[in-house]
Amino acid sequence: MPQYFRDSPESLVPDALAGFAAAHADLVAYHPDHGYFRTRHCAPTRRVGLVSGGGSGHEPLHSGFLGTGMLDASCPGRIFASPHNRQIFEASRAVARPDGVLHIVKNYTGDRINFSIAAERLAHEGIRCARVLIDDDIASDSDDIAVGRRGTGATLIIEKILGAAADEGRGLEDLIALGTDVTRRARSLAVASAAHNTPASGAPAFGLPDNVLEFGVGIHGERAEGTTPHAPLGKLIETMTDQLLAALPDTAGTRVLALVNGLGSITSLELYGIRHAVAKALDDRGVGLDRSLTGTFVSALDMRGFSLTLFATDAETLRLWDAPAHTPAWPL
Amino acid sequence: MSDQPGPKGLTHAAVMDWLTRFAATVRSVEPELTALDQKAGDGDFGGNLVTGMDGVRRALDALAAGGGNGERSRRGPDAPLDAAARVFLDDVGGTSGPLFGLLFQELADALGMAADPPGTAALALGTAAGTAAIQRVGEAEVGDKTMVDALVPAARALASCEPTGDPAYALHVAAVAAHRGARSTTDLRARRGRASYTGDHARGVPDPGALTVALLFASAHAELTSLSRLPVS
Repeated sequence: MPQYFRDSPESLVPDALAGFAAAHADLVAYHPDHGYFRTRHCAPTRRVGLVSGGGSGHEPLHSGFLGTGMLDASCPGRIFASPHNRQIFEASRAVARPDGVLHIVKNYTGDRINFSIAAERLAHEGIRCARVLIDDDIASDSDDIAVGRRGTGATLIIEKILGAAADEGRGLEDLIALGTDVTRRARSLAVASAAHNTPASGAPAFGLPDNVLEFGVGIHGERAEGTTPHAPLGKLIETMTDQLLAALPDTAGTRVLALVNGLGSITSLELYGIRHAVAKALDDRGVGLDRSLTGTFVSALDMRGFSLTLFATDAETLRLWDAPAHTPAWPL
Repeated sequence: MSDQPGPKGLTHAAVMDWLTRFAATVRSVEPELTALDQKAGDGDFGGNLVTGMDGVRRALDALAAGGGNGERSRRGPDAPLDAAARVFLDDVGGTSGPLFGLLFQELADALGMAADPPGTAALALGTAAGTAAIQRVGEAEVGDKTMVDALVPAARALASCEPTGDPAYALHVAAVAAHRGARSTTDLRARRGRASYTGDHARGVPDPGALTVALLFASAHAELTSLSRLPVS
């Protein structure tokens, strides 16, 4: 059984937080009393503080994207668990600007509730606060799922674009509109050939027969609704690309940004092969590939799989994507 | 605790005693609440609530001893509720704990802004605002089998009372309405919260959060009608 390198299941997250803070001490500060990270550098032109957060186990999300051009604060929860409202409240209070704070929230019940409670507390103190809810995962797009689509890979795209926009001194209303629009134009889908392993026991979250892929996984080891035979990669990417393009709101004449994201234990070798297959599939369908990013950004512990996110670009969002950012994990 | 039979209304002493009584009630029914939550949830509700109220009791002791570091008046009727709000919002895990914190926060605000001692109007205002905040956050409606099933009828009952009328009577009406609302959750299938993942397993089990709301109002009513507060002359 695969074993994590850690002292104990309980020490895994706190030790990682301490290590992250020390490794990037020039860029981020950890506030242990309240359990949040804050960037040491951000544009003085900002009028809105950007705060995100979520369960641990998705590294480098979110704390890896603290810094110039991206987030002001991040709130790490326990593994796959929402941060406590106090973390979010204190982080938001610490980084609020004249126009308040914007919460970037992945669509999960716990995250929604805890960010909302923090928002109520901020309102109580007279601090403006709004939220952009990310719901890009098409595998959870079903009438049976009342809570709506999950938020996954698009989170990184939104954090980058909103960060650049915030640096330009845009106000809260403007950022909400932009964030909502970017979310509307991004869709993701993920597959896995093996589940993540539970840190406490080392046991896989679910079992899969040989030569079968779990098609449509989430980032917490949630099983997909179905499986698919482990076909050649090109065929798999064609299927995923077709489903994603069909789900994008305005595909006519679309140009896209592609995020090829590892879920934890897939190799870079494979990810670049996937990147190659995605470019081919898009080209075959007459869709232009404006930008791409390949690597592990939104992980699910050591899940053996990847997600593909397509984002319908325009000149404005490309400009914001290309703006410089300096954070522990932003690669460009 | 209370120095004298006070004026009718929620004096600082009455609110202190209300929360102390609620803490004792919660502790005595914790096994039942936990059993209910184990049948239709993840089983942590009773424990979180007791931990929270233990923290509140410590905060009330600090308040009585002149400690605490709130910016509010420490002798106001809102101070104990404000202390409870901070404990539940900051230190209690899960989701229902902090939701109770929002209710305490709004009650504290309403009582703090009311004439002294605050009465029925302030209770109605605070309960309505707390219910609205909880619904904004949790997005639950009546019938979803959550604490909202008790809060909404309690808020309506308080709003239907004469604003300048006897707050003890208003709390009685609110407690009965909340209790009726909590009982009505028994046959429901949960649509929000952890119990929503248990499907039909939640049927036949009243929602522990809704029952706790009923206990909160019942504790307040019991406090205002306790012998020490009844006019004896």
